[in-house]
Amino acid sequence: MKDSPEPNPGRWLNGDLPANVRIGSNSLIASDYAFKRFRSRRPTALVIGSNCTMDGVHFALGEEGQAVIGDYCYFTNAVLLCELELRIGNYVVIGWNATIADTDFHPIGPAERIADAIACSPLGKGRPRPEIARQAVIIEDDVWIGPNATILKGVRIGQGAWVEAGALITRDLPAGARVLGNPAQVIGTVSGEPGA
Amino acid sequence: MQRNLPWDWYPGTIPENVIVDETAYVETTFSFYLYRSAEPVGVRIGRGASTYLGTMFDSGPQARISIGDFALVHGAWFICDEEVEIGDYALISWNVVFMDTYRVPFDPAQRRRELERVPFLSPRRLAATTPTKRIRVGRNVWIGFDVCVLPGVTIGEGSIVGARSVVTEAVPPYTIVAGNPARAIRRLTAEETTHES
Repeated sequence: MKDSPEPNPGRWLNGDLPANVRIGSNSLIASDYAFKRFRSRRPTALVIGSNCTMDGVHFALGEEGQAVIGDYCYFTNAVLLCELELRIGNYVVIGWNATIADTDFHPIGPAERIADAIACSPLGKGRPRPEIARQAVIIEDDVWIGPNATILKGVRIGQGAWVEAGALITRDLPAGARVLGNPAQVIGTVSGEPGA
Repeated sequence: MQRNLPWDWYPGTIPENVIVDETAYVETTFSFYLYRSAEPVGVRIGRGASTYLGTMFDSGPQARISIGDFALVHGAWFICDEEVEIGDYALISWNVVFMDTYRVPFDPAQRRRELERVPFLSPRRLAATTPTKRIRVGRNVWIGFDVCVLPGVTIGEGSIVGARSVVTEAVPPYTIVAGNPARAIRRLTAEETTHES
């Protein structure tokens, strides 16, 4: 935003970046809600490389969340939900409304979920939340993630993989794989033409 | 035609090459935030049609988008570099994606070159560098929420696409499809397709 080459009234964040955010040269963050759900207390919470375009991205980092994004990335309205770690390489493109989450958000066990509901309620002030499963998400260089796709916790997406619009990814993807569907299936490699 | 909307929360205007019928309703000019069509008519919104808050005309210089008469577009993201046509009486739910282009080359080395150009472009957006394939949504089609319609897809008259489906190939007329990727569930019956009016 400090390096913004084209200020756009009505859309740009006013004010400063949170102190624990580092952004490289000629990178851009556009959106009024980029840091609306940014609660990370890590000394270095968010690192964005150089020449990145982050238009309408939600950086929803929890208190212990840390996200590192490489150079020349282009995200449009992606939702990054991070309670632990999100590592994104260089030249990664993420489409509109795609969601990446490194957490289950709530515990699996019903009793723990009741405890969590109480801890999250207006009456739960100061009560600790139970343990919630989290696992880092790693997205390697040159990955393309389509609109409305979903990437869940613990997944590593190999270099150059192509995730079609609307795909749901719950397992690792090999480099160069083209995937589509829910559950996602590998439908080819990046040697062909995009689309199914 | 009035280019700003009295009820609008966003301080924008409707671009000059957009034709909105006087009986149509556009909820917000924010829908044109990513609009850059330079065609004589970039968007045409028909009689009694409406586009609501979540709609975005994310269109390149050669884009032509047409929304038919009485079509109801609750919230669709049009990633359009050539042509997307929505038929009359179509019902489009929220978070629906119509993409006639992938905007980036499939080859990673070529894609890198494109991404290296973007930060120095004005506006700072991906240019169309892949072949486009038109999308046609027929008359009287109903599309559920979160659906993605991929490049080149045609959806026949009267068909229904279930919520969260990803449509990768042509849908025949009067057919219900669902799933990711979308598959035909059944044809509408003769009884369902004949209505009295």
